[in-house]
Amino acid sequence: MMLARVADSLYWMGRYVERAEHVARLADVMLNATLDHSDAAVQTARIVLSAVGDSDMSRAGLVFDAARSLTLDRDDPNSVLISLARARENARQVRDQITTETWERLNLLYLRVTGENAGLTFEAGSSAFLHDVIADLHLFKGAADATMSHGEGWRFLMLGMHLERARLVSRLLEVCFGDGRAINERITLMNLLRMACALEPYLRRYTSEIEPRHILDYLLFDEEFPRSIRFATARIEEHLVGISRHVESGGLSAPERLAGRLKARLQYADVLELEATGASDLLATVVNECGRIHEAIFETFVAYSLEARLPA
Amino acid sequence: MSVASVKTLDAAPGSSRLQAAYLPGVAYDEMYAADGEVRPHYANVHSRLTSLSPDALAERQRTLERSFLLQGVTFTVYGAEETTERIIPTDLAPRIIPAAEWTRIEAGLTQRLRALNMFLADIYGDQQILKDGIVPRELVLGAPSYRREMQHLYVPHKAYANVCGSDLIRGQDGAFAVLEDNLRVPSGVSYMLANRDAAKRTFPGTFRMSNVRPVERYPDLLLSTLKGMAADWRPDPQVVVLTPGVYNSAYYEHAYLARLMGSPLVEGRDLVIHENMVYMRTTTGLRRVDVIYRRVDDDFIDPLTFRRDSSLGVAGLFNAYRAGNVVICNAPGTGVADDKAVYAYVPDIIRYYLGDDAILPNIETYLCREPAQLSHVLANLDQLVVKAVGASGGYGMLVGPHASQREREDFAQALKADPANYIAQPTIQLSTAPCLIDGRIEPRHVDLRPFILSGEKIVVTPGALTRVALRRGSLVVNSSQGGGSKDTWVLADDARETGR
Repeated sequence: MMLARVADSLYWMGRYVERAEHVARLADVMLNATLDHSDAAVQTARIVLSAVGDSDMSRAGLVFDAARSLTLDRDDPNSVLISLARARENARQVRDQITTETWERLNLLYLRVTGENAGLTFEAGSSAFLHDVIADLHLFKGAADATMSHGEGWRFLMLGMHLERARLVSRLLEVCFGDGRAINERITLMNLLRMACALEPYLRRYTSEIEPRHILDYLLFDEEFPRSIRFATARIEEHLVGISRHVESGGLSAPERLAGRLKARLQYADVLELEATGASDLLATVVNECGRIHEAIFETFVAYSLEARLPA
Repeated sequence: MSVASVKTLDAAPGSSRLQAAYLPGVAYDEMYAADGEVRPHYANVHSRLTSLSPDALAERQRTLERSFLLQGVTFTVYGAEETTERIIPTDLAPRIIPAAEWTRIEAGLTQRLRALNMFLADIYGDQQILKDGIVPRELVLGAPSYRREMQHLYVPHKAYANVCGSDLIRGQDGAFAVLEDNLRVPSGVSYMLANRDAAKRTFPGTFRMSNVRPVERYPDLLLSTLKGMAADWRPDPQVVVLTPGVYNSAYYEHAYLARLMGSPLVEGRDLVIHENMVYMRTTTGLRRVDVIYRRVDDDFIDPLTFRRDSSLGVAGLFNAYRAGNVVICNAPGTGVADDKAVYAYVPDIIRYYLGDDAILPNIETYLCREPAQLSHVLANLDQLVVKAVGASGGYGMLVGPHASQREREDFAQALKADPANYIAQPTIQLSTAPCLIDGRIEPRHVDLRPFILSGEKIVVTPGALTRVALRRGSLVVNSSQGGGSKDTWVLADDARETGR
């Protein structure tokens, strides 16, 4: 049993935390890539800017400024700082529901990126700065996993994280492989894997033969890699089933049904099919279905009509 | 040597750092007796403070502030440009109260709360005390905090003020007196608990040696007090904490208490009234609520009954309360008993209901509504503290000796225009306690806010919030006026210790 508003805040906290980590990683990969003067560097910067929805490609030439604004800009709704501030604001709303260990991790991060020295620290060592942000977000997730009860509240947090992750990875793949686009440059492909935090696991699975179809296969359909879309949708379904156990209505809830369908779609699709039709359709389906699941969660658990739920 | 005779650092080249900087004034000092000797119950803390270098003290102070910031023990300041979060200034030198003194405080507060709850039950019942002419009828029934809606309403155990934080001060003679009672929505208890955590980490050895009574039980005592308010009719009542929301300056405390009690922290928008029952919106539908520990003022709890423009409360809540389907703690209308004018009658109220004299005295109070007392006040404005009856938090008050001639004249005009709205009290030199100021230990004025729970029985937690006027010489301890706080150690006596 938990307050509807609290569940909503935990869900959004999960989404913003995941977004912060993703954007921090994109900024880091972009900065590292552009240390070399190569075509791959420009291409990587373009992928990052497209993935975060920045249409101003001239910024691809001013990578450091772009990375700084992705990290610390208070006016950029996608920046790491804004995502962390929103995650923390949601955490503050539900401060009584999350453990002190979890709260302190997030609060520390927030204080660091909003502190008066943040800009200077970033200038002095942008890579170290971003590395620390990502490492602290991992600590936050670890603290949530290790100290929060794995009940309803925690499931809403996880739901938000995995839903956001599925969307972000879909968007990244869409930018690289959607609409007949194809990236073949090896360094760019490696950077793409880095953006999904997938390079090392990928190498172990496919060796250093880096090919677009393997990347698609891995990031879309792998069952065990935590940043594959299939993995994320399986978790979404799992947490929705867990949450629905508490609801006293019979049958599957709307979000559960939607999530189950999406999971099945990914489970039974394969990369040969994609090669025939292109990845665009499937990626668009993932993004759309995530949107529908999001709405269904809100309507089922948060903004339900009171008439339907009045006590007998 | 006599500390009071040391006026500057240069005048005492041979004395220790602590003593040299410490210049008590005429006020009672918590650590030093008048002859300059350290009071026995301060011996441990005094020796610890003197043994640490200014750098070490400052380092501990920084560690403490950082830990408060990390934990989010903050209040939010909304500026034009940017919102910032600040910690309430917290001083690391503990304030110490020996066992015998505490025994008296505890007895005095228990007596006072018993009488005040009886007074509220009477005022909202047959009004015998008004009929007997002990307290002027118009003073009570005309007070803005009097709630006609509460008349003849059933309140379990006749416990109206379930949570009270009374402010005590120690005058020049060293005796404790009650400055005011806070019976509405008193705050500060989370600082009592957070300060204790900090003190244990800052001075673990000294703390262990000092035999300090624990305060950690406050949240569970609060929960059992709240549950006890509905126990007559619900086997395992659902308690919630009602907060105005994350933008309220005491939000940290609301979340803190909810977390430590394990009760949901709700906002008005989370609650729904259906057929005079209160429910909260959960992910799995509506859940019945039995007891509401509300941290929202009377005016805002129900727009249908009180202020119509309130968006913090719940429409229909008061009807559910009237129907006996939910308990609101504190009960609406308790403010009538902590009104600054009614305050003057509390010793009479105690005598009337309990037949005893007040164990803890009041501060002498002049009611400006009485013409004779008004002229006395006007003639002595430079020596008195004048307060608006309805105001709190250190607003709307004049500290005569510290005010300019001009300020006094302005205030006199306001007084004459609306005398019933003011009371006056002599300026009390609040006692001073050692505080860390810029790396040195200096005396600052303090008060004491213990917390009293009233339900089936009355419980005083052995601890308190000590508020500090951090500006040198200032007597105003309110956090809105530059005040801070520090941990308060209530010592166990030996008998008590072996008895446990």
